[in-house]
Amino acid sequence: MSHQPCAVVGVGQTHHKTRRWDVSLGGLVREAATRALEDAQMDWSDIDAVVLGKAPDLFEGVMKPELYLTDALGAHGKPMFRVHTAGSVGATTGIVAAHHVETGRHKRVLAVAYQKQSEGNAQFALGSGRGGSLGAGGAFAPYMRSYIARSGSPLDIGPMVAVKDRLNALKNPYAHLKLTDISLEKVKESPMMWEPVRYLESCPSSDGACAVVLTDEEGGKAAAAAGRAPAWILGTAVRSEPSTFPGRDPVTPQGAFDCADDLYRQAGITNPREQLDCAELYVPFSWYEPMWLEAHRIAEKGRGWKMVESGETALDGDFPVNMSGGVLSSNPIGASGLLRLAEAALQVRGMAGEHQVDGAKVALGQAYGAAAQYFSMWVVASSLDPFGR
Amino acid sequence: MASDDIAIIGWAVSPMERRTAKSEQQMLFEVVTDAVDHAGITRADVDFTVAGSCDYVAGQAFSFVQNIDAVGAWPPKRDSHVEMDGAWALYETWVRLLSGDIDIALATGSGRSSTADPALIYPMEMDPFYLAPLGADAMSFSALQARALLDAGKVTERQMAEIALRSRASATSNPHAQVSGAFDVDAALQTDYVRAPLRKHDLPPITDGAACVVIARADKAREICENPVWIKGFAHYSELHNPGMRDLLTSPSTTLAAKAAGIEEAPVDFAEVQAAFSHEEVILREALGLGQDTPVNRSGGPLAANPVMATGLVRIAETARQIREGQGRRGVAHSTSGPCLQQNLVCVLEGDAR
Amino acid sequence: MTAPSAGTVEMTIRFPYKRSLGPVIGAFMTGLAGQQILGIRNGSEVMCPPLEWDPKTGKELDHGALVEVGPAGTVVSWTWVPKPSAQHPLDKPFALALIRLDGADTALTHAVDAGSIDAMSTGMRVAPRWKAERQGHITDIEAFVPGEDPQGLDDSRPEEPVTMMPYNAEIPYTLPIAVNTARNAVALKEKRLIGLRCPVCSRTYAGERGFCPIDTTALTAEHEVQLPQTGTLTNYTIITPVQYPGQTETEPFARCMILVDDSDLVIGYQPVIDLPVEQVRVGVRVKLVWGDGDIEGWQPTGEPDVDDPDLVNRIY
Ligand SMILES: [Zn+2]
Repeated sequence: MSHQPCAVVGVGQTHHKTRRWDVSLGGLVREAATRALEDAQMDWSDIDAVVLGKAPDLFEGVMKPELYLTDALGAHGKPMFRVHTAGSVGATTGIVAAHHVETGRHKRVLAVAYQKQSEGNAQFALGSGRGGSLGAGGAFAPYMRSYIARSGSPLDIGPMVAVKDRLNALKNPYAHLKLTDISLEKVKESPMMWEPVRYLESCPSSDGACAVVLTDEEGGKAAAAAGRAPAWILGTAVRSEPSTFPGRDPVTPQGAFDCADDLYRQAGITNPREQLDCAELYVPFSWYEPMWLEAHRIAEKGRGWKMVESGETALDGDFPVNMSGGVLSSNPIGASGLLRLAEAALQVRGMAGEHQVDGAKVALGQAYGAAAQYFSMWVVASSLDPFGR
Repeated sequence: MASDDIAIIGWAVSPMERRTAKSEQQMLFEVVTDAVDHAGITRADVDFTVAGSCDYVAGQAFSFVQNIDAVGAWPPKRDSHVEMDGAWALYETWVRLLSGDIDIALATGSGRSSTADPALIYPMEMDPFYLAPLGADAMSFSALQARALLDAGKVTERQMAEIALRSRASATSNPHAQVSGAFDVDAALQTDYVRAPLRKHDLPPITDGAACVVIARADKAREICENPVWIKGFAHYSELHNPGMRDLLTSPSTTLAAKAAGIEEAPVDFAEVQAAFSHEEVILREALGLGQDTPVNRSGGPLAANPVMATGLVRIAETARQIREGQGRRGVAHSTSGPCLQQNLVCVLEGDAR
Repeated sequence: MTAPSAGTVEMTIRFPYKRSLGPVIGAFMTGLAGQQILGIRNGSEVMCPPLEWDPKTGKELDHGALVEVGPAGTVVSWTWVPKPSAQHPLDKPFALALIRLDGADTALTHAVDAGSIDAMSTGMRVAPRWKAERQGHITDIEAFVPGEDPQGLDDSRPEEPVTMMPYNAEIPYTLPIAVNTARNAVALKEKRLIGLRCPVCSRTYAGERGFCPIDTTALTAEHEVQLPQTGTLTNYTIITPVQYPGQTETEPFARCMILVDDSDLVIGYQPVIDLPVEQVRVGVRVKLVWGDGDIEGWQPTGEPDVDDPDLVNRIY
């Protein structure tokens, strides 16, 4: 075994917006990467390798953009690696980068993920240019109807998640949507876009990037000694499964359970609800919060919505979810997964600012992609042995 | 062998065709089936899969998603995808196996280059402000690099033709070659340029194809395979993008990758390099430190078959095959991406001592 | 071995992109609109075209350190394009060249309109030929021409800084049609609904599916089954259309999951006919309505609804 500890010592992201027309493509990824390097107190020259992730190249019309962005990300004379696993790609990017450190290939790896949706038209791209495009909301709406039916959830739960995440976003300086007057009524009055999903229960389309600096045990300990808390990676897991087959249940996909089980085993977690202090989950549509709470064994089957209803998943609740405001508040698709991992890291480092969960020591970051069939997750902690194993 | 060593235990290369009627899914189904069979295992034994493919080659966003039906992802599998040549997919599987908790992984590379005009696709991978809007494609940049070599006296047009001749002549014995057979160099040098100074013989064919390589950790490799081919070193490096800002006479990232992969630790018996344009072999030979007597691309190389997104993985499979068939004990495989050899990967393979 | 050919389908990816330029590329493009070519200082060197960063180290450059270069320069390398593509800047044979402009240390890639390959050589001197209508784009220089003297000089200068750039990529693809897709299309033309039943697990898939992903089994003609053209609506969404290039819908429309009778096949995201959106519900019995060579949608049969609480979970 050559599995060595790996720590997050730098996190950076852009201000996410509908259109970041103030920056070039290179400028956008550098804005995130520069912040991550500053956080890690490193320079470009300190980085040994770069891993880049983003969703389809057709969105911006730049094929294999790792080529163009090699020098923008200081990777001249270094390894540059490109990942693409649909919506989960940002998280997979962080995980692939972590493997490079955990296996001793490199000491310091920069993971960067981005999307500049304003350069093209995602709705158009998803529909391959044809009319009557379902959009991601239309594709996922039946899943949510099924969840509501089987769980007996009150219909207010989706809107409650939408309000909670937008309130959290008000505390996050980088979040895209800043809906200061958000309320349950406002969400319920917003247009029904993909019944049962309303406009304000769906994610925006954002330009943005996220970057994370990963380092080995020595680097993590050095950061800690210098008073800059690292986030130690306790485990990483990925799973994929086929899009469709008769009997596939996309509400509780087997891949989601398998991925979480693998992750918890690595992290020494037997009771996720108790041992995790908070979670940053990929929730592009409101109902995905209770759905993932169940499909990742944080809530028992049919009880995810109760965690929402009781306020447990609010920022001041017992199990905060999507402290950053989540995908519902910022969605640069390719970066969204890495933003989830990054927020989990910020929380256990105690560096989440106004959206900090008091005393967070162990956090889950998760992303999913395509027809709820790609899963990527990590658990990070403020120490290498938070459960005293 | 140390317990951390990893070996190639099986591989498969699809037929190489100018235009296949098969879907990418079908090509992948066949190479994965053949590769796991070659390794003496089943899909169920594979702990991790990584695919290398490209949406712009496939002509569809998220084109890789449907491919997992054919690779096999049930029960749900550890799986990833790179928008890079399958050689980089194999690199990801190799790094993952180094973690030590899983034993067997496979990587695929697949592409149907026939689906659209390369002159229209490849400008899309260039600088989106300064290069793509000029329609500057990979072949044009290769020609600029070839001209730089000619001007510097590092190669002649005849030597370029001779490289192509040697490649296609040796491809005659390769069942996976699309273009093979000797040709008359003098006559070839009389033909028109396609992109001066490149003539038709200097260019790779347009190829549809796929490849799959299966690797395992040492203990497992020994258990299921009589003659594993060991991955002695594996590395890739990139360079700044714009060819106008680089020295086009050398490939420093190839040299970096070769050194990191330990190429200098022992003499190399042969090489398979992704020299899709004849003159690139000259640059790569020098960058890899290979002497003129070291055989390069006995398979014919990309000049005989160039399945984009799989060409690099085919080099690795070919290197493994030649080692297993006793044509050398230590071989080096190379892959590249981007204009003028921007990004390069080197994999050093060895058979057991005989 | 060559697979049986089922023909090909033509398809063009045509996307209108608009790129934001940022401070340095924006200044360069603004310069072009005003017939000025700018480089950027990078240590003791000048880079043209300019980048925001030092490409060798990634360090941010002083974005204000722009200097005019050229307009003439020297060809460092060149190739000849005898048959230009639709994406090329000229529609007649031309050279694509690396040009080191006077005062710059790196080379700009651009076209040289030399008339003939015989007029091209490494080391030759070239100067820009400006377009009359300039928008702040790399093709504001129509091409370089042999000699020292720029052509097409005028007094036109941009009124506003250029900050955006349009990019229209158009790639026509010819994609092979998979055998199952072709066979399914024939069946649809004959108004037959076919499925493919996996010989291993007996699941039934839609007629064009290539593989059973459960046991990675290839599905072929021998697995074809004729399916009844009736079913039950299991789940749905009502979509309020958003406008985007190519959108054809203006009113809310339903997309429904249909469990086909006598099988375990759910056909996803189907249109419904004669069922107003407010009446779409789980359990409606429907029959297939044929359009021109394809399924037009599913229409209520008038039978009583199926009352099964698990039905809504049959998304696939
Ligand atoms: Zn089956």
